[in-house]
Amino acid sequence: MLRACRRILRPCGRTAFFTIHPAAGLIGAQRRRASRDGPVAVATGRPHRQLLEAAGFSQVTETDCTAEFAAVTRAWIHQWEANRADLVALLGEAEVQERQAKRRAQLRAIEDGILARSLFTACRPAEPPEISQNQARCRNATVITPPEIP
Amino acid sequence: MTKAERETFEHFAERYRVAPAEVSRRVELAVIGGDWGANGYTTMAQASLLARELGLRPGVRLLDLGAGRGWPGLYLAAATGCRAVLADVPAEGLRAAAARARRENLADRAAPVAASARGLPFAPATFDAIVHTDVLC
Repeated sequence: MLRACRRILRPCGRTAFFTIHPAAGLIGAQRRRASRDGPVAVATGRPHRQLLEAAGFSQVTETDCTAEFAAVTRAWIHQWEANRADLVALLGEAEVQERQAKRRAQLRAIEDGILARSLFTACRPAEPPEISQNQARCRNATVITPPEIP
Repeated sequence: MTKAERETFEHFAERYRVAPAEVSRRVELAVIGGDWGANGYTTMAQASLLARELGLRPGVRLLDLGAGRGWPGLYLAAATGCRAVLADVPAEGLRAAAARARRENLADRAAPVAASARGLPFAPATFDAIVHTDVLC
């Protein structure tokens, strides 16, 4: 997907996105918990910085937004409880219970340092980046392929 | 399309089939700070941060991938004057986004497009900026 984004961005165009992901340095069981307790779209693959650089982006920045993620998750739980009767009338008791249970598990995973959320920004370079420069940036150079040049 | 992507699309299509209700709007306002069809974790303040990071302004061509009912792409078009393409797979969300665009007089600057991030139907160098929030990538 990030390679496709780079292709359709103009040179010097920018991308910015929030993503929910396992916290850094987790072992297997913890990563499985992150996948199980996170939202349906939690990313569990390679770190996004590596993915962006491998896709040919430059000027990659990462900002940790996990504290806000926890606050918003708490707010969803609180507001659903505060509006429970109306939500049950709309969705049914079972659905409301299921979503609240899922949110509480997610909040525990955030508070336990399992789940994180970050803002990434990056730029499509004006000129194709040098492959050697990308290799120097990435931990695993064997997966680097030259970026597509439209 | 991978199994995870298919499950994600089905999950959100099911959510979007429930028509917007007053209680949903009330909760979203309290949690996110706006009522643009958000059901995730990006607040209004964070959407404004995205606008600044991307330099959104009139004339800028923005793609919102996984736009759902229009959050945050439709809001960003309204707030900054940029032109937005709202791409997602579930038609249910895109229909809601199109209706909101018409109500907000944004239909000439906000275009819903049914497309997966795996097969984006756009020519190279089409966009000045791309945004997505909590989608698989």
